[in-house]
Amino acid sequence: MNPLAIRTDNLSKVYRDVHAVRDVDLHVPRGAIYGFLGRNGAGKTTTIKMLLGLARPTSGFARVLEMDTRTQRIAIFQRTAFVSERKTLYPFLSPSDLVRFSRGFYPTWSDIAVEKYSRLLEIPMKRRFESLSNGNQTKVLLLLALSQGADLLILDEPTTALDPVTADEFLRVLAGDAMERGCTVFFSSHQLEEVERIAEYVGVMDRGKLLMESRLDDIKSEFRLIIATGNSLPMETSSRVLSVASDGCYCKYFVTRDAEDFAAELTRDGATVTQTASLSLREIFLHLVRKEPPCTSGNAGAIPAGSSSFS
Amino acid sequence: MYIWKCWRDTRWFFLVFVAIAASVMPFAAFANKGGPAIRSFGAMALAETFATIVAAAAYAMGTITAIQEFTDKTAHFLFTKPRSRAYFVWASWIVGFGELMIIASVNLLSGWCVLAHYGGSPLEDFPLHPINAQSYVGPLIYAIFAYALTYSFTILFRNGLKGLGASLGVMAGFVGIADALDMRWHIQLPRPPGQIGGLPLAASNVIWIIVALLLIYGAALALERAEI
Repeated sequence: MNPLAIRTDNLSKVYRDVHAVRDVDLHVPRGAIYGFLGRNGAGKTTTIKMLLGLARPTSGFARVLEMDTRTQRIAIFQRTAFVSERKTLYPFLSPSDLVRFSRGFYPTWSDIAVEKYSRLLEIPMKRRFESLSNGNQTKVLLLLALSQGADLLILDEPTTALDPVTADEFLRVLAGDAMERGCTVFFSSHQLEEVERIAEYVGVMDRGKLLMESRLDDIKSEFRLIIATGNSLPMETSSRVLSVASDGCYCKYFVTRDAEDFAAELTRDGATVTQTASLSLREIFLHLVRKEPPCTSGNAGAIPAGSSSFS
Repeated sequence: MYIWKCWRDTRWFFLVFVAIAASVMPFAAFANKGGPAIRSFGAMALAETFATIVAAAAYAMGTITAIQEFTDKTAHFLFTKPRSRAYFVWASWIVGFGELMIIASVNLLSGWCVLAHYGGSPLEDFPLHPINAQSYVGPLIYAIFAYALTYSFTILFRNGLKGLGASLGVMAGFVGIADALDMRWHIQLPRPPGQIGGLPLAASNVIWIIVALLLIYGAALALERAEI
């Protein structure tokens, strides 16, 4: 079993009367690319802040690279690169100045990487940061993170403001370099196609809770949409049936595991299973976090965190 | 590199103050047609302008050096660097302190040159003459204290205006309370840059500087524990 790059136990954060993060147990294996998904306000950024010691957990604890985030913050920062959701830097400094500024903090800094990524991402290195477009400002932050030679990259919505071509190039580089260097990438994103493309592991948060955490391949092989027709079809949700929607004489079952067994049970009870379809990450995500289609009692806990891939 | 960045943050502001500090006494001498007025009032005018300039620079510098990371919204960038937050607090404070000392020195040097030029005998009215020394050391101690107080409040509030307002309020409020206590009950509170109890002036000055440093230490401690 891989050691974990990030591990949290019952991590919670309460801001006055807002429970921003509730008992989150994250398990990010070393060397993995982990996509962290959730709607706006789901608690992703607060979780990331707690991983970096920028926010204090109300309860629970987090370990990053096997170090305690409360007491070993500086040691964590030596080996971790972070790109915040706020893509802001010193407005009067140019990217070259920012490279000079950042270089001194990291013994593992790579000027070769600066050269490579600045060319690849086509960053104007001599212009002031404030005069760059949003996309170029984001690129500068990514350049600084990638050049740091970090063991762990924590990226909060890294492709925001990037055009599709640059985003594509960035993801390709990120996946390639991370694999080459054995670096762990933990990134949050709303771009589900991006996550599907490069992530090996996925965690989904909603309303402060970690709904699901698993290997992406496992999720995609387990989650199924089963459409059945017949009389007195079951309408109850269970641990494996996340939601049921009735559409005329059809019922759509969103099944999180053992789809074949469930289809067999339906057939045995007199129903006709007309279709068993695999789902994209987008469809899975929407089913998990969408509030309420009719006849659906979409509940949390599709796959209890860590149930399959990490135990 | 962080010190270089702090210098970049404050350099225009600093240069404007240096220009004012350098030109105020020559301008006063020029406006008063030199010689006689300078001989009569030169040393006093220098002490007055010195106190005003260093106090103004202290309050402004306290705000500007402390607030940059928060106005630029770069705290998340800086405070995820592998250094303690206290390091950044002290580094930027030291840059501002250095600039404040340069402004004070430029003002003194410029004034001394003017006095020397017009006064004939500069050593008579020279600012470092023992009798007048506290006229310059006192405002300097006050400036260091005000700078530290403003810097600390700005860090605590993460807001320049609030930091400046709180600092001015505390300084003015403290003087008011001290005066009231003195008048009503004859209780004399020490106030910067005054003498503390029966201590010699030099020892009092050192204590005020130590208190100023403790304020920065407190601000660093608070920021170290703060959520960003």
